Amino acid sequence: MSPSDSPFWNPKTETLPREQLRALQLAKLRRQTAWAAERSAFHQRAFKAAGFSPEQLNSWDDVNRIPFLTREDWMASQAASGPYGEIPVTGAEGAIRMHTTSGTSGRTPLRALDSRKDWSWSADMWCYALWGAGVRPHDVGYVAFGYGSFIGFWGLHNGLEKIGALTIPGGAQTTPVRVKQIVDFDVTVVASTPTYALRMAQEAEVLGIDLPASKVHTVILSGEPAGSIPETKALIEKAWGAKAYDTAGMTEVSTIFMFEPADQPGGCHIIEDHFIEQVVDPETGLEVPYGEQGERVCTSFGRGTIPLLRYRTADLVVKVPHTVSSSGRTWDLYAGGILGRVDDMKLVRGTNVYPRAVEGIVRTYPHVEEFQLRITREGIRDEIYLRIEPAAHLSDDEWAGMARRIGVDLADAHEGLRFIVERAGVAELPRFELKAKRLVDERPSLTIA
Amino acid sequence: MNHTLNDLLGTPLAADEAALLDVYSRLKDLAGQDLVPCAAANVRVALAAVAVAVTDLGLEYEHLTDLAC
Repeated sequence: MSPSDSPFWNPKTETLPREQLRALQLAKLRRQTAWAAERSAFHQRAFKAAGFSPEQLNSWDDVNRIPFLTREDWMASQAASGPYGEIPVTGAEGAIRMHTTSGTSGRTPLRALDSRKDWSWSADMWCYALWGAGVRPHDVGYVAFGYGSFIGFWGLHNGLEKIGALTIPGGAQTTPVRVKQIVDFDVTVVASTPTYALRMAQEAEVLGIDLPASKVHTVILSGEPAGSIPETKALIEKAWGAKAYDTAGMTEVSTIFMFEPADQPGGCHIIEDHFIEQVVDPETGLEVPYGEQGERVCTSFGRGTIPLLRYRTADLVVKVPHTVSSSGRTWDLYAGGILGRVDDMKLVRGTNVYPRAVEGIVRTYPHVEEFQLRITREGIRDEIYLRIEPAAHLSDDEWAGMARRIGVDLADAHEGLRFIVERAGVAELPRFELKAKRLVDERPSLTIA
Repeated sequence: MNHTLNDLLGTPLAADEAALLDVYSRLKDLAGQDLVPCAAANVRVALAAVAVAVTDLGLEYEHLTDLAC
């Protein structure tokens, strides 16, 4: 087989024996921490406060000597020493790109700088995912994304170009126009959020377009945990007649850190030659073993401008060994992708409610067009409402049957908690292109006088 | 060629890896020179791309902000 026919973007490190992979990560970590100690005012102070110096990194266990970095640290630094704070090793003059976090959480967005090399690296991480999903130079890629200051699919766009695929930017278009372009331009690979992939499929139905008959063979998903929810992914694959692959990234690293391999083993490989990913108990900060859920802590080797070391992401994950995948990669995986956020679990009358788990149930009903969870406090009692926008053709009788079954399924999965299922009008619920926000908690915040 | 003969794990370089590292080294030299704008900018674009390749392959790992890259 010619090297260019490899199923791997980088066969050398994607199949590196674990011991050597650890040695490579440690070698890179020594250099990245030395770089941070030399150039970043924030890290200089943080290292000193923690009594850490890069020379202490002699074995794998020494990784835990590096102090955690939190989003709050970054935001505080940005607020105190604007516009970029003191984590970056350079100001705007050393960068060619500035992007922000999405701001969907209602907090001030983080601002992140990338140098030329950082930006090229960002695209390269997407190439690992795209190539692994079978995307090749003969493909035609369509990026259904708004191309704003949110980093989103910018790196994927550049990754498609780097591979040599024809790349079509789908920005500033309505959904009907995007769907028509995908068909008219013989697109073979589509990139979007899971929610928007379903939205485009719904629009295709309205337009009378048979998406499974189009040339699209691959849908690359990112931006929401739903790309790894089996029920949502199954809906997308059926609606498009294509394979759907999950990925996940974040502005804080500029790109993706994991991707789903072609054998779809129920999880995503961590790009371990460019990241160290640890899973810790959110309370103690101590690492948890394989198979145990915890908070994702990310160290990246990619960005030179912003050395990201032991960053507390608040993502909930379960790490499993590489052997669960038949892809041939030696990289560990996150089973089920991103499982939620440390802070998105809701307590309703003593029962834990995770939005992802609710979506997993709701998406087993194909006549659900859109939905929204609303939690209220009525007197001293919390209530949880599930508003569903069903397919317009669903009769009242059909709706009543479906609503009853969904209510039972949700109660069974939530210790008998009653979800009040309501029918929303056609096009009443909000639609999303990026990071769907389907949970509205209207309960007053607890304040301590 | 003026570079190490092993990768970051101490493994001897393959011929194509040695050639790639040589190109990288030459681009770094060029990026440090005072070139006309069209050459300076495009050398940095090339350097960024080759830097990613040598990092991917574990041949070298360093940041290049001092070279505006």
